[in-house]
Amino acid sequence: MIHTLTNLSVSAITIMAPLLLAATGGLFTELSGMLNIALEGLMLVGAFASIAGVFLTDSLLLGLLIGVASSMLLSIILASVTLYLKANVFITGLAANLFASGITVILSFHLFGNRGVITFDTLKELPDLFTRFAQQMPLIAGYHVLTYLSVVLLFAAWVLLYRTPFGMRLRGVGFHEQALASLGLSPHRYRFAACVLSGLYAGLGGAALSLHLGSFVPNITAGRGWIALVAVFLGQRRPIGILLASFIFAFAEAFSNYAQGAWSVPSEFLLAIPYAISLFAIIFYSVFETRKKRVEYRKG
Amino acid sequence: MRKIERFSVLEYFLRSLFGILAIVLLSVLMLIAAIFLLSNQPLTSIASFFAGPFSSLYAIGNMIDHAVPLAIGAVGIALAMRSGNMNIGGEGQVYAGALVTTIVALALPGWGLTGILIALTSSMLVSGSVAGLSGWLRERWNVSDLITTFLLSNIIILVVDYMVAYPFVDPQTNLISTRFVDPSYHLPILLPPSQLNTALLIALLCVISAHLFLYRSRTGFELRMVGDNEEFARYAGVDHRLYRILPMTLSGALYGLGGALAILGTYHATIKGFSAGMGWNALLVALIARFKPAAIIPAALFFAYIDAGARSAMFYSDVTYEIAYIVQAVIFFLISSRILQRIALGRRRV
Amino acid sequence: MKSITKIYPETQRRANDQVDFTLFPAEILSLAGENGAGKSTLMKILYGLTSCDSGEIQVHGQPFAHPSPIEAGKRGIGMVHQHFMLVEEFTVTENVVLGEESTALTGFLDRRRNRQRVASLIEEHHFSLSPDDRVMSLSVGQKQQVEILKMLMRDVNILILDEPTSVLTQLEIDSLFTTLRKLQRHGVSIILITHKLHEIKDISDRVAVMREGRMVGVYETATVSEEDIARAMMGDEGLSVVRKERHQMNLDPVLSFDHVSLIRHNQDHPLLDDISFTVHPGEILGCAAVSGNGLGQLESVLLGNLPVSSGEIRYHDEVLTSVHHTATTRKRGIPFVPSDRLYTGCSLTEKVSDNVIATSRKRFFPPFNVSRKEIESYTSQLIETYGISATPSAPIGTLSGGGIQKVILAREIEGIRDLIICCEPTWGLDVNSTAFIHRQIVQLRNDGVGVLLISSNIDEMLALADRLLVFSRGGVSARFSASDMSSLTKEELSPYLLGKKRMEVTLA
Repeated sequence: MIHTLTNLSVSAITIMAPLLLAATGGLFTELSGMLNIALEGLMLVGAFASIAGVFLTDSLLLGLLIGVASSMLLSIILASVTLYLKANVFITGLAANLFASGITVILSFHLFGNRGVITFDTLKELPDLFTRFAQQMPLIAGYHVLTYLSVVLLFAAWVLLYRTPFGMRLRGVGFHEQALASLGLSPHRYRFAACVLSGLYAGLGGAALSLHLGSFVPNITAGRGWIALVAVFLGQRRPIGILLASFIFAFAEAFSNYAQGAWSVPSEFLLAIPYAISLFAIIFYSVFETRKKRVEYRKG
Repeated sequence: MRKIERFSVLEYFLRSLFGILAIVLLSVLMLIAAIFLLSNQPLTSIASFFAGPFSSLYAIGNMIDHAVPLAIGAVGIALAMRSGNMNIGGEGQVYAGALVTTIVALALPGWGLTGILIALTSSMLVSGSVAGLSGWLRERWNVSDLITTFLLSNIIILVVDYMVAYPFVDPQTNLISTRFVDPSYHLPILLPPSQLNTALLIALLCVISAHLFLYRSRTGFELRMVGDNEEFARYAGVDHRLYRILPMTLSGALYGLGGALAILGTYHATIKGFSAGMGWNALLVALIARFKPAAIIPAALFFAYIDAGARSAMFYSDVTYEIAYIVQAVIFFLISSRILQRIALGRRRV
Repeated sequence: MKSITKIYPETQRRANDQVDFTLFPAEILSLAGENGAGKSTLMKILYGLTSCDSGEIQVHGQPFAHPSPIEAGKRGIGMVHQHFMLVEEFTVTENVVLGEESTALTGFLDRRRNRQRVASLIEEHHFSLSPDDRVMSLSVGQKQQVEILKMLMRDVNILILDEPTSVLTQLEIDSLFTTLRKLQRHGVSIILITHKLHEIKDISDRVAVMREGRMVGVYETATVSEEDIARAMMGDEGLSVVRKERHQMNLDPVLSFDHVSLIRHNQDHPLLDDISFTVHPGEILGCAAVSGNGLGQLESVLLGNLPVSSGEIRYHDEVLTSVHHTATTRKRGIPFVPSDRLYTGCSLTEKVSDNVIATSRKRFFPPFNVSRKEIESYTSQLIETYGISATPSAPIGTLSGGGIQKVILAREIEGIRDLIICCEPTWGLDVNSTAFIHRQIVQLRNDGVGVLLISSNIDEMLALADRLLVFSRGGVSARFSASDMSSLTKEELSPYLLGKKRMEVTLA
């Protein structure tokens, strides 16, 4: 039993990495008061561009950088149109997702001649760290580098948001943008920065997905960008909360993978588990919040 | 007495039309540029993209047929959004509606028109309840409808996938699909040899009813009030509970109707994943139409045109279908920009 | 500032018309005028929040072109706004240093130093704050102190305060003025935007009066009286006095409050404390208080947004709200002019006509409405009767505050039977609109309607109310009958408003 739980947790932590990265990206935009539903598209672009980059340059690092640069480029476009051309943030987010779906397939076709799955036999793999300790401490050692990076970057995000002037102003924009405007600080600038940061993180998350897999599948993200957004809300827009929420979803997915193999429940039901858990989680959370906020007045 | 500038209705209409055309033109230019970049036979591609959908009655009919579920779903979204709600669970609701209709049709073979009515009603009930549930959750406990509609939709898609693959699967075909419904459930074709069928009339009916509902009925007026300013609506005595749940239910029902009509009119069986994209596309159509029923038919047709053009270009030349996504994305970026709108309308306050 | 002109293009309104304005070092100058006179606009131009169409500005002898808040800050200009620009969720320290944060070499926030800076400023000016308080837990007066701290942190030598006293209690006002005088001694020049005459006399060295966008006169405060200033502010129309004859009262009440209380579950002190009163047809019953003493709760309970903990509210003999049941006055069809006219009273993005018929939907959509002609003509009629400067299809957001209020009033009056409730009806309105609305209210009363007037505007109360209730801390601290009203003065009211005195209650 413990063995299974440990194994599940290990899988969960690996699965968690892309989700956590994307959710952290979503944290920035959410705290700055800008609805960001483009996490899915940003992840997708990062996933594709990084794997294409690794293949083309034969270097993991360069490929990663290309991936992140691409997703950041998309986020720059998104932020520019929304903030400076004054577009509806919901529509532009959807448009960004659309664009990402389209461009990844098109480029895949034109670069690799394949609109479907692209795999490379000679592709460099993501290095695993601390493999020496993997036997004794499976929960902490032996993950690939991006998994560790996701936690480190979460911490970095916390530092940025709560220990620097930039972070404080960004949060201020989300709370009360007029207050900052009256001091001469431009809310648009901070939202723009938040959006670009979300592009960076989400792109990294997508890279974590595809590089770990070693291939790119159209729609490899499969809704993870949206789940990341749910994680941000469930985690009460706080780094610790996001970590927990991401882990919960990842664990649910790990569990459903395991159950598909071990039991003979139809795969569709197991695939639905993470979504169902998210749904119940958010319902309970809202019920709890509403109860807390309800001001009771005495009767009689 | 302050003077407030007003354009005449005609002038405003022409100006908006001009603005939209300008944006469309810009997108078309970008499309052409992209084709030149990506295709080895650019001229063929361009020709097949733009002219392809009109090349035959078959092509035209199918294009319009494709627009039908989009228009119906868009009407539902418009109603939901105008009342301040959000329903992004269209994918699941359409798919579920399709399956329900298929099941009813298979269970009541040969029932003809009565069967059709029962099937359609059942689909609308099921999909409507799903969306209505999200609305109720939002009303009762302030659960984000954005999130619940999305999550429920994903769960439903998986459930329907399962149903199609196991309990209701047709063992005789290679596709993962249910059995085909019998011909008494087929909607009459309007424009052979294409698939365009009487569902088009239903779509038109939906659009017209929605317009009349929103602007000429008391309930529609109240619905718009709630969407514009909830506080004011409450003060004016509007039952805002009703308008959290009713518009959502209606939008779900309409999505379900779209899926059902797609089965009865075009596909005649629920093939796994056949409706993928319909929900999102309907949402996009509603967005282009700015949630105004009157603009939904042209918006849906436009959308279907782009889709058909991309398909035709894919068939007859070497362009990938996904180019349609790019075009759509660019159009959305441009169309939703208020600054560009202002420029198009000549600096009148938008 | 010389020849400053600003025109708002949508409405062709000259917010500032060739205004000249000079400020000397270490002086306190009041910028006076009625609402809409252009005072805020002028200062916003100075502070860089908006731009002027023509004119020039010089600060400390240097020309000051293209102002922005950052530029203004560099020149030493600071502004404390009427609506606080504070981040409620942040602490005092965070709010004060926002934009000017101390950082360690690494770029991180130096929290200790920030806190120290704020703490020493607080001590220097004897403010009753702690640097770690969360702003949302502070009182209104304290929040204003935080705003001032923001300015002090930035070394301002020209401080603009926009209507600072409108939300303060007298004690807080005194404290503010002490601080201002101290700043003056330190060499800071202060511009006080206000329309409160006695404050102008109290604190300022000079007073500049604006009216309808123009600078009407600049005076040494010592040499002018309050009446002089008032006359300059309002022009030759003089104080708008609404005539009102004594009226016969009908004995059966239209609205009664019967021992109504509202207590929150976890608090001891009730928000509404055993309120009882009656409104009769043909009279104006006023409920007056300093804002924050229960008027808001009174309005919410009447609107049906809050339940009652005990007691009953009755309309004639029918129970509207009791412990068992909360009803909105709207359900019963009672006209209600809410205090929040922009968000509760109308839908800003909708047309005037849609706003007008919003509460009489049944009449116009029975349940279908084939053509909008009826709606349009009804709206046009109302526009004419009430002198509203708009067209039926204009979005109501383009109207001025007075215009919006007239639309709301028109809508409510049309549905009137024998009772109307008005909350803060002339808040933020210009003289003419105020006079118009007062006239309407008196007309209604003369026609036999019962009017419940809830307002924190004491002048308005004294002018209009036939009978008056004074609220303090949620309870009725004084009742004045019709005969008392004719000789009532503000000085007499003051102790009841502030809760220092309380009348013995005998139900009238």
